[in-house]
Amino acid sequence: MTPVLLLSRTQQVRLACTLGTAILLLGGTTQAITLLPPDSPVDATLTGSIDLETYSIDQPAPGLLFTDDDTYLEPRLSLLLDLQWGPHWSAFVQARLDRGFDPGARSDGDIRLDEYAIRWSPWGDSMLNVQVGKFASVFGNWIPRHLSTQNPFVTAPAPYENVFGITDAAVPLSREAFLGRKTQADKKRDWLTQIWGPSYAHGASLSGRLDQFEYAFEIKSNALSSRPSAWEARELVWYHPTITGRLGWKPDPAFALGISGSTGAYLLETADATLPTGSDRDDFKQDTVGIDLRYSIRHFELWSEFIFTRFEVPGVGYADLASFYVEGRYKITPSLYAALRWNQQWFDDISDGHGGSPSWDRDLYRVDVALGYRFARNLQGKVQYSYGHEPGLNANGSHLLATQITWTF
Amino acid sequence: MGRYQLKAGQLAAPAKPVAVIYLEGAPSARAGNTVSIMGQRGYQFEHHVLPIQTGTRVEFPNHDEDYHNVFSLSKTKRFDLGRYRMGENPPALTFDKPGVVRLYCEIHQHMRGVILVLDTPYFTTTTADGKFRLKGLPAGSYNLKAWLDEKTILSAPVTLKAGQTVRLNFDSSNRK
Repeated sequence: MTPVLLLSRTQQVRLACTLGTAILLLGGTTQAITLLPPDSPVDATLTGSIDLETYSIDQPAPGLLFTDDDTYLEPRLSLLLDLQWGPHWSAFVQARLDRGFDPGARSDGDIRLDEYAIRWSPWGDSMLNVQVGKFASVFGNWIPRHLSTQNPFVTAPAPYENVFGITDAAVPLSREAFLGRKTQADKKRDWLTQIWGPSYAHGASLSGRLDQFEYAFEIKSNALSSRPSAWEARELVWYHPTITGRLGWKPDPAFALGISGSTGAYLLETADATLPTGSDRDDFKQDTVGIDLRYSIRHFELWSEFIFTRFEVPGVGYADLASFYVEGRYKITPSLYAALRWNQQWFDDISDGHGGSPSWDRDLYRVDVALGYRFARNLQGKVQYSYGHEPGLNANGSHLLATQITWTF
Repeated sequence: MGRYQLKAGQLAAPAKPVAVIYLEGAPSARAGNTVSIMGQRGYQFEHHVLPIQTGTRVEFPNHDEDYHNVFSLSKTKRFDLGRYRMGENPPALTFDKPGVVRLYCEIHQHMRGVILVLDTPYFTTTTADGKFRLKGLPAGSYNLKAWLDEKTILSAPVTLKAGQTVRLNFDSSNRK
């Protein structure tokens, strides 16, 4: 972590204008950079992207926006190094320079290695791949398309970014205290999401494709809900791994269906001191199952996921939630597309110990609308408006306007 | 890593780079009902560069098991064919304006192809080692051009007489 930026509002605007102009001027230029001579036994290719995101936020900020400001600027440089040794071995590293993994999480600047892994393909094809390192989870169908070049929106679907009152840092003092979180504003540095973005935890995976079927299994150091700081190498602990898998069926180019499942302890070491006597972190798991669907034809694409999660909360019991989103994208012209996403999240009722059964967090619905424009093959812009609704005190703001311009090379 | 997966043997080597040789300045009429093919096979475009005369219709058949989505944002022709599978041919496109049309597939980002739309019926492509034969040319004085890519176009003056065969080597210092 290297402090880089301390920006006033005026500086943010100037930086946005400068970067935006640079990106527009660079659009249409350059390709991937080949780093080694053609006769080298190793192919090394460097690709990357520059993203410039702006947010106009109705506070408290929804999702994984870590800022109290009404406007926020998030520049991001991503570099991806791909290495290939013959047909069996490959590796990749993805580095990012920005203002935090999630916008504003480290607003003074951050540089990270978000992904690095080595992959072995024993038969030199896609039938079996063994991968070890730090990389995105295999769960569901949003994570494989989470990069800004593939996501029709600026933000993630609700299951991947809506924060709720489960924490990995400590055990609730009481059932009342746990239920009391529902009326507090989201504590994004303490609380969790159902799946935190692409979940770049450390681990190993087996994946492949056999005719119409895809499979992927991974063992990772952290639960799907774990936060980015828990994925870092210095936090790496293997005592309480999470196992995740996905089976996919693609009978036709137009249609794909998948089921995913995951189980693992979600509490961190810092919670040990507060655990009930005689219990262990492994006694309190996050169990998640999901079904995902994709359909596409000509200029239309549709994706959907339904995800159910059960957290075992010490002193409380099961805290269940379910999420659903469906999103569609339609290309109106060769350059212009429109996208629409409906998100919903439901929280189950739990006993309050006094004869009542309130839900343990606020149900959410949110609609996201986006327009995207491709200025060139490697230059695109997006604008997104979101309206979300959560009931009760200190609920997140309803309105969000976000823009993003992306240049890839 | 959100990378698509291909089965063993599916990914073919890209088509070998060739140059397009064409006669500039010769009188010409718009192409008639001509159809050219720019297929996708082995997750590559079948031609590195496909030269056509203005007015030619081009079809884009998919010979692979997965979807392709051919598009171009070139000034000469902007289009997006959407996703289509083997045997489900998208509408053929007519190319009315001379120029370079760079082709991509939205799904398979390694795929690259070019359609070079020319205002002349007198063109051919070289072999991979750079040899060519251009027949049936009209008599007169013209410029013969070799298009290697958008930044590399070689030019050589040529005078043609009826029934005559001319041998010509392009000098790489004679760029456009």
